[in-house]
Amino acid sequence: MATRALLAVISASPNRCFISPSRIKIQSLTSSSSSHYYQRQSGKIHRIARSYSSDSDSSVLQPPDVSRLAQTARISLTPDEVEECETKIRRVIDWFGQLQQVDVNSVEPAIRAEMDGGHLREDAPETFENRDSIRASIPSFEDAYLKVPKILNKE
Amino acid sequence: MLSTLQPPRSLSLLPLRRFRNSKTIVSAASSTTSVISPPQSQILTSRRSLLSGETTAVEIAKSYLSRIRLTEPQLKCFLHVSENVLKDAQVTDQRIAKGEELGPLAGVLIGVKDNICTQGMPSTAASRILEHYRPPFDATAVKKIKELGGIVVGKTNMDEFGMGSTTEASAFQVTANPWDLSRVPGGSSGGSAAAVAARQCMVSLGSDTGGSVRQPASFCGVVGLKPTYGRVSRFGLMAYASSLDVIGCFGSTVADAGMLLHAISGYDRFDSTSSKQDVPEFQSQFLSMDHFESKPLNGVKVGIIRETLEDGVDSGVRSATQEAASHLEALGCVLTEVSLPSFSLGLPAYYVIASSESSSNLSRYDGVRYGNQVVAEELNKLYECSRGEGFGGEVKMRILMGTYALSAGYYDAYYKRAQQVRTLIRKDFKAALEQNDILISPAAPSAAYKIGEKKDDPLAMYAGDIMTVNVNLAGLPAMVLPCGLVEGGPSGLPVGLQMIGAAFDEEKLLKVGHIFEQTLKGSSFVPPLLANVP
Repeated sequence: MATRALLAVISASPNRCFISPSRIKIQSLTSSSSSHYYQRQSGKIHRIARSYSSDSDSSVLQPPDVSRLAQTARISLTPDEVEECETKIRRVIDWFGQLQQVDVNSVEPAIRAEMDGGHLREDAPETFENRDSIRASIPSFEDAYLKVPKILNKE
Repeated sequence: MLSTLQPPRSLSLLPLRRFRNSKTIVSAASSTTSVISPPQSQILTSRRSLLSGETTAVEIAKSYLSRIRLTEPQLKCFLHVSENVLKDAQVTDQRIAKGEELGPLAGVLIGVKDNICTQGMPSTAASRILEHYRPPFDATAVKKIKELGGIVVGKTNMDEFGMGSTTEASAFQVTANPWDLSRVPGGSSGGSAAAVAARQCMVSLGSDTGGSVRQPASFCGVVGLKPTYGRVSRFGLMAYASSLDVIGCFGSTVADAGMLLHAISGYDRFDSTSSKQDVPEFQSQFLSMDHFESKPLNGVKVGIIRETLEDGVDSGVRSATQEAASHLEALGCVLTEVSLPSFSLGLPAYYVIASSESSSNLSRYDGVRYGNQVVAEELNKLYECSRGEGFGGEVKMRILMGTYALSAGYYDAYYKRAQQVRTLIRKDFKAALEQNDILISPAAPSAAYKIGEKKDDPLAMYAGDIMTVNVNLAGLPAMVLPCGLVEGGPSGLPVGLQMIGAAFDEEKLLKVGHIFEQTLKGSSFVPPLLANVP
C-alpha cells in the first residue's frame, strides 16, 4: 500500500538535519520483521544490530511487559488479548524508537502549542444546579455516597 | 425586525445584512450554461427562505429528517437522533412570527460528534464504557450553538474516544462513506463528515487531535475546519490528548464551516487553555463571486510542503494537489516549495504524546461515577473489569502504550523526547509561515480505503495521518476542502487540499478557501447517493 511505502521511505531516508550519516535506520513495517541498524563502512552497508530502540549511549529500554502494564492501567485482559496486544504494541514501541536518533540537545520540550498563558479562574466553589442528573449517572450509590466494593491489599 | 442577525456579542451586523441583498455569497445558478455552479451556503440559503416566508423551519427540518430516514440504514452516521428537532424548529418559527431577533444559526440543523457533551442526550464517545451516559451539562460549543438558534439534530458516530482514522473502531456501528458504501468515511469524526456529505444535516461539529476533522473531510468531499488550539473551548469535549484536542467544524461550503466556527469560538472561563484573542468577523471574507477581482488572491504567498508530495502519496492525490496549486496560481497566488525538515518525525512524536496523554485522560472511566460498571467484590477488580469490558481493542492498546511511555525511567526517552520534537516542528512551521501566507499539502496520502482494509495493522493505519498530525503538534489552524476526484467508487472518490495558516489566522484560510472553492470548475462534490434522494 502506498501509505506503507510512505512510512518506510520516510523512515529510511536520512533526515538531513538530525540523523548521523554513518548510521541509518531502516524501518520495515511487515509483520515478520523488526527494525535493523545499518552502518556505512567504506561505501558498503553492513547490518550491525537489531534493537527495539536504543541510543548510542543510553541503556537499552526494556520491551513492554503487557501484563504488567495492564495491571498498572487497571485494565483486565484475557490471555488472547495479552498475546495480540503484545505483538502490536511491540511493533509500535519499536517504531517510536526512531525518535532516539533525533538530536534534541538543548531543545526545550513543548508542553503544548504556544498560547496566551493559562487563564485560571478564582478558586471559589460554585453550586452546580443539576445534581439529579449527576446522580442518575452513578451506577451505585447510597444516601450521599458512591458505593464501591472494599479494597484488598495485594501482596 | 426580522432582518437583523443578532449575535449575543454585539458585533457589527453590516457584513451579514449585505448578504441579503443582491450582494449575496450565494451565486445565482447560471441558467445559460452547463457549468456546475459553485456550492451554496446552506446556512444562508435556508436563512433567506425563512426570512422571506418562502418556507418554515419545521418544513426544512422535516426534509432533513426525511433524508436521514432514507439514508441512515446504509450510512449509519448517527448514534442518536434527537427527538426534539421539530419542537426546536417550531420555536424558531414562533420567533420569526413574533418578529423577534434571530441568532445567526436560527433554524440551522447541526450534527454533534458523540464525544461532545449534550445535556440529556446520550454522549458515549462511541464506547461501551459510556453506553447510555447522558451528561448533566452542555459543552460550551453546544451551549453557544443553542444560544444562537442552532438545532442539534443528533450525535454522530466516531472511532471510540477519537482513537482511529476510519470510524471502524466505534463500539456500536460502522459508518459508510456516502461516495462508496464499501468504503470508510475516515475518522475519527467519520459520522460528522458523512452526515454533512449526505445532507443529513447542514453543518456538524467534530474534534481534531491528529487530523480527525481534516482527513474525513477529504474522504467525504466536504469542508473540514480545524481551528487554532485555544480558539474554541474544550469544555465538554471528552479529552483524548489535552495538548492536541480541538473542536472543529464541517460544512458543505467554506462559508458554512466558517460561520459555525465563528459561533463557537471565544474565551471560556471553564477552559484555561482557551485563548483571549479576539475572534474576527469571519463572515466578511465570504463575498459573492460577482465581487471577485480578476486575480482575487493576487500576491498571496503559498508554500507547498515538499515532503508531502514525495513517494508514498497516491498519484491521483498528487495530481489533484498539483492542479489545486495551479488553480491558486491562476487566482494570483505566488507558489513556492517549502521544506519542513522535521516533517517525518511528527508521526511517532504524535503517537507518543497522544497515547501518553490519553492513558492519563481515560483513567477517569472506572465504572464508579458514570458509565457501565462490572460488579465485583473488590475495588481494583471493579476497575479492571469495567475498563477491560468497556474499552475496545484500540483504546486499550493506546492506553497501554501510553502507560509504557510514561513509566518511571522511560519518560525522558519517549514523552519528553516527543515534546522536544514538537518544539522542532513548531519552529519549522513558524519559519515557513514567516515566508508564506499559507502552506498547502494533500489532506491524506490516498482517498478513502475499503472498510476492513487497515483494521489489523496499526502502523498502516497510523501512516495515513502523516499529513495532518504535525499541524496539531504545532497548534495551528488548518482547513481541508475538496479539490478533485480520483478513481474509485461509482463516481470517483473525493480528495481534499489542506491549507495551513499561522496561529489564529483562520480569517486568511477562510478567505483563500472561499475564493478557491467558488472559482473551482469541473467538480460537484455531491455524492451519487443523493441523486435519488429528495
